[in-house]
Amino acid sequence: MRNGGPILFLNSIEQLLRRKIVLTAVIATVAFLGLYWWGVSAASSADLSMGHADADMAVAMLGPEDAALAAILTAGPLAATLVTALIIVIGSTMLPEEIGQGRMPFWLSLPQTRLKVYLSIGLAPLAVSYALSLILFGGIFAITSIYFPFTARNIPFVLVSMLAWLTVMWAAVMLLSLVVKKIASMLIVFFLASVASLFGGLYEIMQLFPGDAPKALETITHTIIYVFPADRGYRGVIYGLIPADAVITENLAFFGVTASVPSIHLVYAFIWSLVLLSIGYWRFRRMDF
Amino acid sequence: MKKDDLIRVQNVSKSFRKVLALSDFSLSVSSGAIFSLLGPNGAGKTTLMKILLGLVGSDSGSVTIFDLPVSSPLSRRSVRYLPENVTFPSWATPAILFRQLERIRHESSAEEFRLRCTELECMDLMKRPVGKMSRGQRQRVALSLVTAGKPELVLLDEPSSGLDPGGRILVRNLIRNLASEGATVLINSHLLGEVERVCDTATFISRGRLIAEGELDSLSRKTGLAYIETDNAGRMILYLEAMGYSCRTESKGIVAELEDASAFPHLTRSVLDTGIRFTGINQMRESLEDVFLRIMDKDAERGTDIVS
Repeated sequence: MRNGGPILFLNSIEQLLRRKIVLTAVIATVAFLGLYWWGVSAASSADLSMGHADADMAVAMLGPEDAALAAILTAGPLAATLVTALIIVIGSTMLPEEIGQGRMPFWLSLPQTRLKVYLSIGLAPLAVSYALSLILFGGIFAITSIYFPFTARNIPFVLVSMLAWLTVMWAAVMLLSLVVKKIASMLIVFFLASVASLFGGLYEIMQLFPGDAPKALETITHTIIYVFPADRGYRGVIYGLIPADAVITENLAFFGVTASVPSIHLVYAFIWSLVLLSIGYWRFRRMDF
Repeated sequence: MKKDDLIRVQNVSKSFRKVLALSDFSLSVSSGAIFSLLGPNGAGKTTLMKILLGLVGSDSGSVTIFDLPVSSPLSRRSVRYLPENVTFPSWATPAILFRQLERIRHESSAEEFRLRCTELECMDLMKRPVGKMSRGQRQRVALSLVTAGKPELVLLDEPSSGLDPGGRILVRNLIRNLASEGATVLINSHLLGEVERVCDTATFISRGRLIAEGELDSLSRKTGLAYIETDNAGRMILYLEAMGYSCRTESKGIVAELEDASAFPHLTRSVLDTGIRFTGINQMRESLEDVFLRIMDKDAERGTDIVS
């Protein structure tokens, strides 16, 4: 039997690319990168010590790496919000729309296993979001390094972390879209992503000051980190992307934004996603169409 | 069950929560037939069709196609299915959709697809996006896509839905052509007139149970009406009415009412006695609609008996 999965996958990608929401996200990405370019180029021509006649020692020590770090930390969360919104919206609608439009019985009547149909259609939102994320963060990296030359800490780590970050949200929204209504699945995952982001920052701060946080807060933070590990991936993206030689990195660690992410956390995020994906497939396999 | 049965359904039951869709249902379909599933809304026809494709799992019993359990994708390798309400992406043209399906099925059937499009008069729609087609056009395109290639089993759920009379004739011809090419066609339709014109056999389902099955001819009873084909209808009516028959003209002949269905030989003798030339005389049979209503009424009575 021929494996028709790749064809179904490409078909789903094509279908996604023709949707207005994806077109909107692409336009927003281009606009965002354009504005970022404009902002960074303007900032690059400014003198950091301008207005400081007595040139503060700290300011005097700042180099282009620090400016790059500041630019990335400013643009990163905005880019992450855009990608998060996209994967949640297209991930929650992909399977329900195929079912609602009556195409799912048609695909399943082809000589393909349910697993292939599930993955071929389901993987499309992840692939599109990953591509858009690469363009966004790749664009941020490229534009920044043109004006503030720097060496990123770990680009391969960025690529893996990005996949972990998106896979967690994708697996969650895919499962939820088969269990609750589209809107509900979107809201739940958006809420989880927001909470995970907040507590992800707290987690980093707690790592710097062990034992200082109330026990209950520590327990909640650790639980959330493991219940919805999306934030670990996002932090991995930022950690890998920021300049290796920035002076202010240590100072910013206080805010929980520049810390490294242990690889085991990313492995955990992938395993967690696989579990959710398996539960989603189990649900899909038992569905009547 | 015969050895060459293409579809075998044995003691299948299926419930959707508290609603019983199929109850201990058994059926066999031999290859090469044009077969129809008939029954009122909610009888379990679509559920049965979906069980055959593995789209709906049965609670008990076994279902095989080509001697393979329907849970195996291999059972669907020569099967084509047209769901009742399928909406292809509005941007896609039939040519794009066909290319995708051809690659998924791993078969080269461009020639057959062109043939089907010609049969269904939709060749001119090849480059038009589905979203810019009328419902009837979409249905004809969907039928072309589904039946292209060399299917051995074709399952059509309401294939004439949304089609004008011309389109229905095209679909009828397509179904006959598929059967003549060796395919077994299973149709689920409420358009009994269409089914009657094209199907060989029918299975009647009501409340999830099989209540009658057989060839259409054997299912329809002879009625108390006879049709006499004659060029001299006026004179024939005068003679027959004088003999006590109630008659009326219809197309190229006369329809005469019999006292009961067994009185046909007597009418034949009477017609011969008139001495008027006639070219044919037939006892009329129930239409499929009459058969359907009779069988369903009988089932409803049986259901009432069970309840009472």
